Amino acid sequence: MDILTWLLVPIVNLDLLALIAVGTFAGIYVGAIPGLSVTMAVSILISFTFSWDVYPALALMIGIYMGGVYGGSRTAILLNIPGAPSAIATALDGYPMAQKGLAGEAIGIVTVVSFIGGFIGIFALAAFAPTISDFAIRFQPRDYMMLGMLGILLVGSLSGGSLVKGIFAGAFGIAIGAVGMDPLTFTERFTFDIPAMRQGVSFIAVMIGMFGISEGLMQLHTIKATAVKQKIGRIIPSWASVRRHLPLGAQTSAIGTVIGALPGTGGDIAALMAYDHARRVTKNPEVPFGKGAIQGLVAPETANNAAVGGAFIPMLTLGIPGDAVTAIMIGALFIHGLNPGPLLMTSQPDMFWFIVSALGIANCFMLIFGLTGIRFFVKVVEMPRTVLLPVILLLSIVGAYAVNNSLSDVYWMLGFGVFGYFLRLYGYPLAPVILGVIMSRLLDDNWRRAIISDREELDRLFMGILSSPLSLALFTAVVLIFVSKTPLWGLIFRKKG
Amino acid sequence: MQGKQPRRPGELVFNIGMTLGSLYLLYSAWGISGFEALSAPGTVPMVTTAIMVICGALILWETLQKPKVTGERLDRDILPLPVIVTILMVLAYALALKPLGFLPTSFVFLTVMIRYLAGGSVIRAALLALLIVALVYGIFRLVFTVLMPPGIVPEGEILAFVRNLLSGKGN
Repeated sequence: MDILTWLLVPIVNLDLLALIAVGTFAGIYVGAIPGLSVTMAVSILISFTFSWDVYPALALMIGIYMGGVYGGSRTAILLNIPGAPSAIATALDGYPMAQKGLAGEAIGIVTVVSFIGGFIGIFALAAFAPTISDFAIRFQPRDYMMLGMLGILLVGSLSGGSLVKGIFAGAFGIAIGAVGMDPLTFTERFTFDIPAMRQGVSFIAVMIGMFGISEGLMQLHTIKATAVKQKIGRIIPSWASVRRHLPLGAQTSAIGTVIGALPGTGGDIAALMAYDHARRVTKNPEVPFGKGAIQGLVAPETANNAAVGGAFIPMLTLGIPGDAVTAIMIGALFIHGLNPGPLLMTSQPDMFWFIVSALGIANCFMLIFGLTGIRFFVKVVEMPRTVLLPVILLLSIVGAYAVNNSLSDVYWMLGFGVFGYFLRLYGYPLAPVILGVIMSRLLDDNWRRAIISDREELDRLFMGILSSPLSLALFTAVVLIFVSKTPLWGLIFRKKG
Repeated sequence: MQGKQPRRPGELVFNIGMTLGSLYLLYSAWGISGFEALSAPGTVPMVTTAIMVICGALILWETLQKPKVTGERLDRDILPLPVIVTILMVLAYALALKPLGFLPTSFVFLTVMIRYLAGGSVIRAALLALLIVALVYGIFRLVFTVLMPPGIVPEGEILAFVRNLLSGKGN
């Protein structure tokens, strides 16, 4: 009975309901506008909501988070510029669909499956939080390290081009992520004695450069061509279409929830792993993956929205953030005198059920705003590209500057934009670079923790991997994904055949 | 692992640059802590840059095997004039942002870019630029309170004046 009362708090309180609605609406546009990130918006919101009560503050932030994860898919589909890292996989099939005049169908199905995935994640948060967090805390540093490698290999392999170029790009991203002061020993890495490089390279500047500027420069090649208008036909997908993709959506929602529940791994990795899963289980897609397959939209979008609920599990039960946004939310809870962790669940269960309910409401608002605001949103991309392109460039510059109010981030963005432009021209995938930058710290920290705990002995580390079922499974997955993309795989299969 | 697509203009030079750059980064990574320990701060950078060198060499070898593409030129298909102009404009924007401020720099940037890419009259480009700058300013400065460099525009005074007007205090 108590739980029902706590769940009803954001529903019966109109102020809270309105804040969730405003947050979700704003989140969709924040997530969609290149250069604006949900993380940035939520961090700025903390300063706004410092003096607020905890419920309204959380209501607004939860709305922004839920809307923002979904909003990133829109520009991925319409402009091929993922509004958020969790929408990188969505662009692979969403943009080709838009180019075929199926932008409305793509956005419609993405909205509905995001809603379904979101609810599966929220249900998992409510029902299985203790169980899933038990699973997550069993991870050893070596497991996190292999999870990071798995993510980079996956994104390298799903880029569709050369695996060697994918691995090169991933390794380059890890090197970029290592620039600056080593957090453990304060040793300078790749700073070349330049003081400004000691603080490292902003991931957002790299992302905006790679996806905003380089895409803009690529579009200049065809700027004079008649712009293909993104036709918006039927938006609300047919029940038959949704039902056909429900089994895949359920599987990828489960992947998203589990990945989201792992500390440090958010919707971006969940979406990429789900996309790879979809490619493996979909035997005969009507349209090939990478050319506009609906399964290529269903998988990442269910997973990244399910990961939202998942990301709250370690945050609320263990006090460990599931991703960057929940890390900021932990800060917000601290500001309001709350201590997220196992005690929160027992001492303030009302807070837990309020968050569950607010997430559910935000998910409903996301469906409503998602299905009703598309035509207005699409007006943006119906602008002539000769006008749209300078706007994208301006938003990219301002977005990069806004990260730290620093011009050096703008120069980084431009540098990575030009570099990304040449990478695109010569067939290198860009997504592994971004993932490498994100995973760099996780890989480095966990490698060092793992090898220190094994007394700096490689053989002990390998014995540890072989003796733990979880580590062994991850290690096998890393090896299999690598081998499956080499000629060795073909040789084995030919021999067997 | 890779289809035998023809080699594009500049691709060989780019891949040579990538391999040499990777070698330099490997040397730089070795300089962090050498082979001090497996948990040393330079270990992961050394491993990743070593992977870059190996992959770079493989990519270079593959590039050398490819036939040259026919009908493509460096100045037309790889670095056409609009690309060079746009890169220079973004660079100029970054250089002018601090001294001139967000509003005039963005207005000039958009006017020049729209006029250059779309053609048409300068007035049309300037009006469009004005509208877009107002919108972007509204989102970033007023809604998200992102502080952009004011430069030569007395932005603080203007905002205070508008706030006073809205609150009915006049000037």
